[in-house]
Amino acid sequence: MQKDKNNGKKHSFSLRKRLFGGKKEALDVMQEEAIQSPMRTIVKNFVENKLSIGGLAVFLLMFLVVLIGPLFYPIQLSEKEETQLNIAPGMDMMKVPKELEGNVRMISTGSTFSVGVDNNGKVYVWGRTKISNKIDIEKDMPSQEELGEVVAVSAGFDHAMALNTDGEVVCWGSNRMSQTKAPSGIKRKKVKQIAAGYQVSFALTEGGEILHWGNDNLNDIRITRKKGDGNIDKIAVANTTLLAVTKDGEVVHMGSQPTDIASVPEDVGTVVDIAATADNGLVLLEDGSLRVWGKGRSEAMNLPQMDGKVVSIAGGRTHFTALTEDGKVYAWGSNNKGQTDVPSSAQNISAVYSGSYQNYAITESGKTVTWGLKGYLLGSDDLGRDVFSRLLNGGRMTMTIGAISVVISTIIGIIIGGVSGFFGGWVDILLQRITEIVSSLPFLPMAMILTSIIGNSMSENARIILMMAVLGFLSWPSLARLVRAQVLAEREKEFVTAATAMGVKKSSIVFKHIIPNVISVIIVSATLDFATCMLTESTLSFLGFGVKLPRPTWGNMLNGCVNSVVIKSYWWRWVFPAIMLSICVICINMVGDGLRDAIDPKSNER
Amino acid sequence: MLKYVGKRLVYMVGVFFVVSIIMFILFNNTPGDRALNQVQSLRGKVSDEQFQIRYQVARDKLGLDDPIPVRYIKWMGNLLQGDLGYSTFFKDDVIDVIGVPLKNTVIINIFATIVALAITIPLGIFCAVKKFSKFDNAVQVLTIVGYSVPIYIIGLVLIYFFSVQLGWFPISGMNSPNFQGSGFAAFMDRLHYLALPVIVMTVASLGGMTRYVRAAMIDALRMDYIRTARAKGLKEKVVIYSHAWRNALLSVVTLIISWFMSVFMGSIVVEQIFQLNGIGQMYYKGLMNQDFDVALAIQMLYCVITLISNLITDLSYGLVDPRVRIDK
Repeated sequence: MQKDKNNGKKHSFSLRKRLFGGKKEALDVMQEEAIQSPMRTIVKNFVENKLSIGGLAVFLLMFLVVLIGPLFYPIQLSEKEETQLNIAPGMDMMKVPKELEGNVRMISTGSTFSVGVDNNGKVYVWGRTKISNKIDIEKDMPSQEELGEVVAVSAGFDHAMALNTDGEVVCWGSNRMSQTKAPSGIKRKKVKQIAAGYQVSFALTEGGEILHWGNDNLNDIRITRKKGDGNIDKIAVANTTLLAVTKDGEVVHMGSQPTDIASVPEDVGTVVDIAATADNGLVLLEDGSLRVWGKGRSEAMNLPQMDGKVVSIAGGRTHFTALTEDGKVYAWGSNNKGQTDVPSSAQNISAVYSGSYQNYAITESGKTVTWGLKGYLLGSDDLGRDVFSRLLNGGRMTMTIGAISVVISTIIGIIIGGVSGFFGGWVDILLQRITEIVSSLPFLPMAMILTSIIGNSMSENARIILMMAVLGFLSWPSLARLVRAQVLAEREKEFVTAATAMGVKKSSIVFKHIIPNVISVIIVSATLDFATCMLTESTLSFLGFGVKLPRPTWGNMLNGCVNSVVIKSYWWRWVFPAIMLSICVICINMVGDGLRDAIDPKSNER
Repeated sequence: MLKYVGKRLVYMVGVFFVVSIIMFILFNNTPGDRALNQVQSLRGKVSDEQFQIRYQVARDKLGLDDPIPVRYIKWMGNLLQGDLGYSTFFKDDVIDVIGVPLKNTVIINIFATIVALAITIPLGIFCAVKKFSKFDNAVQVLTIVGYSVPIYIIGLVLIYFFSVQLGWFPISGMNSPNFQGSGFAAFMDRLHYLALPVIVMTVASLGGMTRYVRAAMIDALRMDYIRTARAKGLKEKVVIYSHAWRNALLSVVTLIISWFMSVFMGSIVVEQIFQLNGIGQMYYKGLMNQDFDVALAIQMLYCVITLISNLITDLSYGLVDPRVRIDK
């Protein structure tokens, strides 16, 4: 039938064309609907609306990103890293300056920045050097004249040190704990090694004496003669304590607290090199074998199988690296920031420098190969967590909660609206009263009360399910009213009478015959409800009544951001979640608006 | 008309009781022993026996051993007599605790409503008259943005610009700390502190309201009597403001009322951001500190507000538009 009609139309059209020339006449609504199903008209109208299609595209993109992203950026809920707090966005932590390339004498990495010195004694600083508003390691660096010809550098948590040929130790950066105030007589003592730690500085003299200055309260350092002071050959800074090798090749712990790292291995042979992570120590013995000790659960305890004799070792914050005599590099330990992913280009290495989460390997030809943490794409937050990965994971949570609550509310709305519209009578009256009671419950306060009272004693997952349920059960009345009105209109049409006459069950008339006819209205309402549910979820989480930290959602990522310090200095912590949430909701609303316009031909103003 | 109002009132009271029963049951199933909380401070100071007696007295006083229906009737009786309970957090009667915050919230809301109406009504009318012009399209996109962006993000952005960058307004609070002035100076100080919250609330409501006014106005302009009015040569101004606007007013009035009420709920977030001593902040504190008498009282207040707003909305149809005969 349809086909014939089309053919006939075409024929008359071409006749007219032959008579009057090819002037195309716009079809009016009725003609158009005659050759196009209403659904196709809707789709066509929708596709023509550039704004809505754009919104749909952006939303789908965001949806896919937050759906797939967390697989690549999984989140550790218990994560806390005090050396990586509030780092500005950027990926330049391992960007070695060009001038230094091929001419490296030494590189040392602190928390977020690295200090390097070239063979001419010139010092370079790179990475996230801005420690606070006032302190910038790069800007505060003394001029090259003041530094002199530098032979060794060391980077700490928020300060850096340099040792020059005159035996002078120059420190710069944060001086809150006077960690940059080197003792005055240091020049005479012939310093041979320097090491900067967490708000503390160390210098080892030729005479085997350890000098230290800075924060003694936080750091566990009790240097006594019994521990071999005056006889020290090498030092390595662990998190807040110090490990050392004596000239006799023995390992000593320079702290007094009985931590895991304090139980140093004894009588293992002659130690030639030492390295430390935050919780573990590693020594290289004379015969090239390695010994690791410290926190037992740490992944740094698992020594890998190595070919060839190890010649030097280095330690980052949670990982170790070892260099063998044939120029191969091995890295092991925690790999949460890619710090043990040694690239295949790291062949024929002559030296490896590891620190924090960064690694620099110098090949025999002088090229620098780097791996580890490049930086944080969108910065890090107040617990040192990557904002980008929290954004992805939080987005997934926000969208999941929004979507499931919409599904719940749509199902309830369709059932109640359909039943009450079709059956009428006392069922209708009863359901309408229930609808009115639910809609007279104030939405936000009600959701707050339900999640705080019922949810208080629940586990986190149960809380999330509860939130979906609460949002779903509070937001169905408007859809139920809409569906009821539509069903009332459809109920009187012929196809329903026909279905009734054929003896179709009442329930299947409602849900199989009538509801598909009003599905377009339901879709629009569900789309707009999705936006509302996402907003409500994020508002609840923002207030602290929804999903609780540390599990992220876009709402609770903004939770701790309402104070002037965060708003001004750590803008990346609130700007990115705010942008993502806003764009997402804007897109959904645009799609919903576009759909509504597409369904309602009146609004097209033809 | 009177019969209709009466019917609605009876119905409203019914809904109120249903809601209050739900709320009461919810609050009474919360974990924690309120009697124990009250006498907790005495523990250790008096002998165990004495403590048990005090505890039992507290339980009896709170009626914790009665069955739920009895407790509900007691509570409802007190509520209707104006006794809203006792705040365990503020150590005072709830009615005294929520008085000042309620006043503050109402003041802020009235300010925000007036400012928002002053902007959105002219804007909405203008957009409807110049429908599909470039200006209108731009406003349409902006309004989608306006009602999509949650209020706390608007708050953060405006705090960033006005408080942090420009330094015009304080970031939070109601008064300058240790403010000594009185009269006009105190009023100006208060105004200074409340300006940004009011701006945030206004901006947050611009999007939705402008769209609403525009839609109502477009509907009114599409009517036949507008064509008639134009055909008989009336000035465009008269057509718009006298013929179309009066008819659009019907839906705008309902909007204003329901919006004014929704601002009460929305102000929970704003008061939380700016640390204003308002009813929303009080509700937040009540829930956070397990001070359930306060939370329950405010929750009931919210319910009453919603019910009254629904009633006024329905009645105002008839008042604004004589064509609507609600008593039928």
